[in-house]
Amino acid sequence: MPAGAAEPDDDEVGRRFAAGDEQALAWAYERYAARVHGMAVRAFGPGPDAEDVTQQVFVSAWTGRAGFRPEQGPLPAWLTGVCRHKIADTWARRDKQRRATEAAIADAQAGPARGSAPVDAAVADRVLLLGELDRLGQPQRGIIELAFFADLTHTQIAERTGLPLGTVKSHIRRTLERLRDRLEVDGAALHA
Amino acid sequence: MPHCTPEDLGLAALREPLDRDSAAHLAGCATCRTDVARLRRAVDVLAVPELADPGPPVAPPPGLWAGIAGATGVVTAPRPDVVAASAPPAGPVPDALPVPMTAPPDASAPDAPLAPVVPLRPRRSRLLPAAAAALVGLGIGAGGVLLTDRGDGDGGVPVAAAALDPLEGSDASGSAEVVEREDGTRVLRVELSADAPAEGYYEAWLLDESVSGLIPLGVVRAGTEDFELPEGLDLGEYPVVDVSVEPLDGDPAHSGVSVARGLLDT
Repeated sequence: MPAGAAEPDDDEVGRRFAAGDEQALAWAYERYAARVHGMAVRAFGPGPDAEDVTQQVFVSAWTGRAGFRPEQGPLPAWLTGVCRHKIADTWARRDKQRRATEAAIADAQAGPARGSAPVDAAVADRVLLLGELDRLGQPQRGIIELAFFADLTHTQIAERTGLPLGTVKSHIRRTLERLRDRLEVDGAALHA
Repeated sequence: MPHCTPEDLGLAALREPLDRDSAAHLAGCATCRTDVARLRRAVDVLAVPELADPGPPVAPPPGLWAGIAGATGVVTAPRPDVVAASAPPAGPVPDALPVPMTAPPDASAPDAPLAPVVPLRPRRSRLLPAAAAALVGLGIGAGGVLLTDRGDGDGGVPVAAAALDPLEGSDASGSAEVVEREDGTRVLRVELSADAPAEGYYEAWLLDESVSGLIPLGVVRAGTEDFELPEGLDLGEYPVVDVSVEPLDGDPAHSGVSVARGLLDT
């Protein structure tokens, strides 16, 4: 690292990341890895699971950087979204392992209760709905994320985004209906 | 009293308070309550603390980058001191301690993960792209290094040598030679020309050509340093001399940050 080299601002890091500049990945790690790792540690505690998630976030973000659109939001917010996926995927993987273990025990016992252990519906539904969020355009996605993940009221969201109150309310309503439909069609809980 | 508006149903699903009339209607209307309950399922699935916006930052342990570099093949690296400084030190509750326990690298069990810290891939895999690139350029150059007996009294005979070429972004260079003493023991003599690292220290290693095995030799400074080689070590198997920058983090594994490297012509 050349001493005294000018550090680009966050927007510039985001643009260069999207363009595939490897140095931007290193800068992104310097600036945002602690936020990402903080989320992972909050979900799994310090240790291998959290470290695996943090690693996967940066690997996925880099290999999937074509999906990052700098004009739609800053890089750290996008990394946060990737991190949510990796956390949910880790829950799902653990659930799968749990079911495999239980199935093996049931087989070994050859008891009357054979059959596959039920999927943890909440775990499966989280993966499903995070995927549905990815399909939302802006500003719908930003609005619902502020409601879900920043715990803001619709009034606070309107202030934060500068959108009219009525617009925020109707986007929230439509997005919730969309997520409801997705759950009712493909969700695990109603099909268990 | 009309039913709640769809917008109010959405806000109620988010547990936002409604105006008095709407709230009163909702309390007494099974239809609207059912609608809210159906919308709320998505809220309950996603609005959980684990998925909330980032809370307190926690600096990732120093070895984490190696797995990312290994999986992506990028040759840049974040500055460890900047990463470490990106989160406040853990408070009285040591919840952000780097995970304990890395066993020292065990070259005899190349398939065993070096450290549970890097579950994605063994951390040494970071070396792969750089090693491959370095080895390509070394095939010819290494032969040009003079084998010279330093005549410094230990009676050693040079049996192999390597030029240490800087890796990308580094100004370190030098040479290495293996000297066999009269009693058959061998030392690796590393002559390093490099500025002191901004952080941490330099360490010398021998790697195999696939960079899946590595043998730590010890701390090296600018100048000339001798390292005793383990008896029975096959230099044909570990022909790559590598100098890395290691943070002072108590982690015995390779940091993944190499500054110079060369292939011994045995």
